[in-house]
Amino acid sequence: MAELNAQQAQPVARDYKSEVKPVWCPGCGHFGVLNAITKTLAALALPREQVALISGIGCSSRVPAYTDVYGFHGVHGRAVAMGVGLKAARPDLTVLVAGGDGDGFSIGANHFLHACRRNIDITYLVMDNEVYGMTKGQASPTTAPDWMHGSMTPSGTRMRAFQPAAIALAAGATFIARGFSGQPNDVVRLLVAAIRHRGFSFLQVLSPCPTYCPEQRDWKLAVRAFDEEPTDDAAEAARRIQRDDGMSTGMLYVADRPVWAPEHDGAGDLATIESECLI
Amino acid sequence: MSARADLDSLPGFLAHARALEEEACARYLELADAMAVHHNDEVAALFRELASLSRQHAQEILAMASQHTLPAIEPWAFAWGGDEGPETGSPQDLHYLMTPAQALELALGNEQRGQAFYARVGRESASPQVRELAQEFAEEEAGHVAALERWLARAAETPAGWADDPDPPQMPD
Repeated sequence: MAELNAQQAQPVARDYKSEVKPVWCPGCGHFGVLNAITKTLAALALPREQVALISGIGCSSRVPAYTDVYGFHGVHGRAVAMGVGLKAARPDLTVLVAGGDGDGFSIGANHFLHACRRNIDITYLVMDNEVYGMTKGQASPTTAPDWMHGSMTPSGTRMRAFQPAAIALAAGATFIARGFSGQPNDVVRLLVAAIRHRGFSFLQVLSPCPTYCPEQRDWKLAVRAFDEEPTDDAAEAARRIQRDDGMSTGMLYVADRPVWAPEHDGAGDLATIESECLI
Repeated sequence: MSARADLDSLPGFLAHARALEEEACARYLELADAMAVHHNDEVAALFRELASLSRQHAQEILAMASQHTLPAIEPWAFAWGGDEGPETGSPQDLHYLMTPAQALELALGNEQRGQAFYARVGRESASPQVRELAQEFAEEEAGHVAALERWLARAAETPAGWADDPDPPQMPD
């Protein structure tokens, strides 16, 4: 990799970490994801001022505070929308959107769908622990229907869990991958590929919540690598995703489709603005 | 250069050794911060001490490697035999109420895996120079293992009910 030229001054992961100490519970999977994010930025040698990390609300959405790049800790469910807007205005930036399953697949689901559809060149990393952790353990869209530990869903959700990879594929994402926070270096590999991909990249990272879902400690025994190379055939990707139990990691789908970008560079005279915005 | 080939060259092996200690140091610091945030100050201090030892080992390796240009290896391409370095340990093994004895057991596991890694390289590397150095490192790690075992023997045993918390983080609705 040209970026890892040992002869140059290569940044290291700690160059991208802030002084703020994470308040996550000890054992939280998000520590692994934070490590993966900073290692990725170091591996790509991205100038810190050229990276924007956007988040919503939730435990995972605290990541911007723990990194030393531009960050925006926004409102619940709107991280993808903000990331899309930022990229449209500043296509030169590397825009990384991060959040959780509740933020991204419930209140934020609509933005997720249309960002996939738009195929704008940003990377969306979702730390999926199948629970609303920050608000102390409610079922989220990815919670299994038979999870009965939530006080608001004592009989389980009685709904099929949201399938992030399947939804992303159907909505038009051109890069879909899954990782596990207990394998942070593999997440680095996936995140490097996601950021390099031209188009909307979606990376779901299974990230256990030890406090509200202690049974997720067993995820490390259940995850395994996909035994196939990623496909660019959407139908084949759909078959693989539907066959999978949601615990396989790796790149599932990588395709090449035109990337959405604004038609103009954001500057113009008054006449142009009036004619195009129908003022 | 493939990750496997890196263990057959002295610069590649030293790059692995350096990363092993540096990542161990970083992980211990992370664990220390997590414990401090959750007011487990005794275990936080212990993890900081372990981080300091790993940092010292990393500096010793850097000094040894000063004559070489170490290759830059992608984080996922190290030939650890697992995802992370052998002395990095899993953050999932943490509990906010863990005792010093449990922290030392975690550290002991790290050192044992480190020793096993160097022993494996000492057997399998194609380079006689690397094999010799790896065997030396394995012996040094054995010393670390012994030191931790003595440390653990002196530590107070983890009491029954150690994880009981009269004010647990999970609040009833």
